[in-house]
Amino acid sequence: MTETRTRTRVVPEAPPRGAEDEKILRYRPGQRYVHLLVATSFTVLFLSGLPLLWEPLSFLAAGGYSRIIHRVAAVAFMAVPILYFIVDREGAKELLADSFRFDRDDLRWLASMGRYFLGNASDMPPQGRLNAGQKLHHAAVMILSAGVVISGLLLWFWDASLSDSMLAWSLVIHNITMGALVLLLIGHVYFTVVYKAIHSMHTGYIPKSRAQIEHPKWVEEIESKRAANGANEQKTLHREKQPPK
Amino acid sequence: MSSAFLLDLAQCIGCEGCVVACNTGNDVPDGAQYIAISEQVRGTFPDLAGGVANHRCYHCADAACVSVCPTGALYRDDGLTRVDASACSGCAYCVGSCPYDVPVMVDGVATKCDGCRDVVSAGGVPWCVETCPSDALRFGPREEIAAEAHARAAAHRGEKYPDAQVYGERQAGGLGVLVVAPEDPETLGLPADPKIPLPTTAWQEVVKPGGFYITSASVLIAGLAGVIARRNHAREMAQLEADHAANAAPTDDNGEVTS
Repeated sequence: MTETRTRTRVVPEAPPRGAEDEKILRYRPGQRYVHLLVATSFTVLFLSGLPLLWEPLSFLAAGGYSRIIHRVAAVAFMAVPILYFIVDREGAKELLADSFRFDRDDLRWLASMGRYFLGNASDMPPQGRLNAGQKLHHAAVMILSAGVVISGLLLWFWDASLSDSMLAWSLVIHNITMGALVLLLIGHVYFTVVYKAIHSMHTGYIPKSRAQIEHPKWVEEIESKRAANGANEQKTLHREKQPPK
Repeated sequence: MSSAFLLDLAQCIGCEGCVVACNTGNDVPDGAQYIAISEQVRGTFPDLAGGVANHRCYHCADAACVSVCPTGALYRDDGLTRVDASACSGCAYCVGSCPYDVPVMVDGVATKCDGCRDVVSAGGVPWCVETCPSDALRFGPREEIAAEAHARAAAHRGEKYPDAQVYGERQAGGLGVLVVAPEDPETLGLPADPKIPLPTTAWQEVVKPGGFYITSASVLIAGLAGVIARRNHAREMAQLEADHAANAAPTDDNGEVTS
């Protein structure tokens, strides 16, 4: 009995799946391009930093060639937050606000995260637009990125400001924060693969039935906004474009 | 067979001839200086003591700069620590690692004394040795230099430096510069036990290997758990699908399909 109730709450009146499944806008184009820029610049930064950590690749670093690439990518990486605020101010503010605010459901979600880790998305405590794991991920990425950027800038302009020991510590901090970001990336890719989530970052849309399972409070929020805005405006609110078939 | 320098600080008169010869002979880049001489005056008048401290690369056998260099721009050769500027990546790991505070970055490239590699391979002696007017510097096979150092220390002890000693035979695996110190080497700025700085040790011993293992383990765990999780999730989705199908049919209070 309890089992049935839980399930009904998680999937309330689930719409038919398949071709007629309604699609909800999850990532606006600006958000997708900013994400692409983060992904690309981070990958380039990782690969161009690797020659200083892994001897077999060290020939790439000789003469400072990988350093030039590293610095170009670093500028792109540092431009991300600025760019995000330019192309999608609301989205950026929403990300900042959501990532550091945890409610009771989030804490309960984190407590049972082991189940989610092993591929069980239903029967988890109901989540909003971001689940608690995503919030933690985003918060950690923001804080660690600040660490990697600050230590990186110190290294870049070291000769003016740093003592030898400060320089050496900056290197260690730069590498530790980058290592932590790589671990987060492994987790990010892991959940993307387990829940086949790449689609929404590619097209921008998520099937409503899917959102219903993992982000029921978000779907609820969207629907109540739609209801408040009236039937005529609903198309412009969350469905600016026709979702791709 | 390896080479070594002899640096006799009891003989050094602090003229800085070696500094000038090194700078001009090696075409040392602006902003760098491979040798620095500082004259010391200790005590209060009239009880004064003095000495000449010499800041230079001591060519450690267990060289921290060589061990942290990721590109091999710093390397050991003929008992000395060489620099291949063209291989330098500009990472500056060496700058923070040297217990003698020797390598510096100039225009994004590490530079330091390379024992006048080109001059020596052409049959000459390093510029500083060539120039020294007071016989404080010599260059030659390490055994000969060591023997000379001990002979000089003994001679100095017999004259006016009772504490004269040889410095550099055990420090950092043995230095490529054997110093004849007229007194306690520490007073001349030579550490009895040159320490590799904490961040370098932390990086080499803990962070780098630890990071490698943690990252490898994460990838491994993600791979294994991913297989299980994908299967679980597929099962879960199939279950939900079945539930939808069941929900589409009229149900009684117990969730049983009635028709």
